[in-house]
Amino acid sequence: MEYIQISIDGILYGSSYSLIALGFSLVFGVMRRINLAYGSSLLLGVAIALWVENELNISIIFFIPIVLFFCSMSNLYVERFCFAPHNTKAGVVVSMISSFAIWMQLDEISSQLLPDRTHSFPSLQISTFEVGGLFFRGDQILNIFIAFFISAILFLAVYKTKYGIVLRAVANSADTAKLMGCNTKLVNSLTFILAGVLGGIAAFLVLSTESQVTPLFGFWCTVKGLVAMMIGGLGSLTGAFWGGLLLGLLEAHFSYHFGPVFREITTFSILLIVLIIRPGGLMGVNIYKDLKSRDERI
Amino acid sequence: MLKIKNIGKNFGGVKAVDDLSFNVDKGEIVGLIGPNGSGKSTTINLICGVFPVDFGNISVNEQNISSLPTHERVASGISRTFQNIRLFKDLSVWQNIWVALQQDSDQSSGWMREWFGNSKLQKEKIKEILVFSGLGDRFDDLAGNLSFGEQRRLELARAIASKPKLILLDEPAAGMNSDEVADLRQRILDLKKLGLTVLLVEHVMELVMNVVDRIVVLNFGKKIAEGSPENIQNNKDVQKAYLGGA
Repeated sequence: MEYIQISIDGILYGSSYSLIALGFSLVFGVMRRINLAYGSSLLLGVAIALWVENELNISIIFFIPIVLFFCSMSNLYVERFCFAPHNTKAGVVVSMISSFAIWMQLDEISSQLLPDRTHSFPSLQISTFEVGGLFFRGDQILNIFIAFFISAILFLAVYKTKYGIVLRAVANSADTAKLMGCNTKLVNSLTFILAGVLGGIAAFLVLSTESQVTPLFGFWCTVKGLVAMMIGGLGSLTGAFWGGLLLGLLEAHFSYHFGPVFREITTFSILLIVLIIRPGGLMGVNIYKDLKSRDERI
Repeated sequence: MLKIKNIGKNFGGVKAVDDLSFNVDKGEIVGLIGPNGSGKSTTINLICGVFPVDFGNISVNEQNISSLPTHERVASGISRTFQNIRLFKDLSVWQNIWVALQQDSDQSSGWMREWFGNSKLQKEKIKEILVFSGLGDRFDDLAGNLSFGEQRRLELARAIASKPKLILLDEPAAGMNSDEVADLRQRILDLKKLGLTVLLVEHVMELVMNVVDRIVVLNFGKKIAEGSPENIQNNKDVQKAYLGGA
């Protein structure tokens, strides 16, 4: 029985990892760039939204779209300043370092906006309930449904709409897509906005269950999302989705059996093992082959 | 139609294209030939904007396109195929066409409709293009799973999908046997019938001599001859360039 309870907790956590990993994976898929500032841009979005909420005293219904808006705007900011200027083959290292610089910058701004170590976050007041000896927190159950629903919409958008097809074409080969008339710069910007919306939803879900936000939230998002994506598969959306759930499950079990200290140790041990055995992640592309084929000259 | 005026491109110290000028008239098929490394592919890449020209002017229908970004050049009516096949391998055949399909200017649907709307109407258009290219039965297959010849045909179909006025073919016959070359020749003539203008870069002389109206010969990035296929075959400079005489 307790195994089932732990697994459920793990999946509940994992579903928000999945959303963040999907955001990472979109950006990596389209640009082949790792955005280290992703978590921080979400934290900044949340911080600005909280500040607006304090000033205007708005209800939670309006608070959610404000979070999503500022998360996507801060993501766009990151794209404009650290990915758009370095969108060439030589820009891989430069863009990663500038994303690190922007990470520090955004964290600093966020801590100015939220000066306390912890800051309360509006939560959805739903009570815990019990089914056949298993305990469910109402808000967490809601979270997992929202996370699955949003992922399903994302998959529909990516596989069924023209925007999704163009996005996949750019991911396949940006140079060719450009020559077929796709505005790749616009696609890049929209992808960052989309990643911001996904991350914003994830951030809201996580923070409202915790009902508080700390300055470390940005770092937490970056680490969990990045690890979930790397485990699931680089550049694979399905991989990112399952990677998040798997990470949540493993963390829950290891921290239950070996103590809470092992939560983080597990995360990074799994990442290392996966990277050694399958560098592209469990469901990902062969990353060496992939990068080579992208470098072919026209 | 296409006017190239004194364009040049240097890579490091190498003059890949040097002060090149030629015109392509509407509805014409022009061949661009020359020994390896003579700047043919570079010329095509300059026309469609893979990299910018160092100097000179390229205009299509009197519109100067030398400084336009690549996707706007496509919108102004230029489209191309590639020397090494560059399909979107993870997409299906019809999705490959869909990427390139441009919005009709007479339809006043916004980008929301274009990007998230119903794809039924577009699927019919895509089907039409695929049937025209002899790929009607491969509609749902993954592009990476097509045979070599089919992939070449799909590239051509994708190039047509953006409704170009000028189509640039970069060695379309590379790796083809003589039957396939004959088929390709027919397809290029079909393009002409549709009213398209074609610039053909090719090494396979069997194709070039039998399909083009006019030939431009390059060597070391410079134009060394221009004229009808017969004239070119008898041109001393061209023979020298190909046979390596000094």
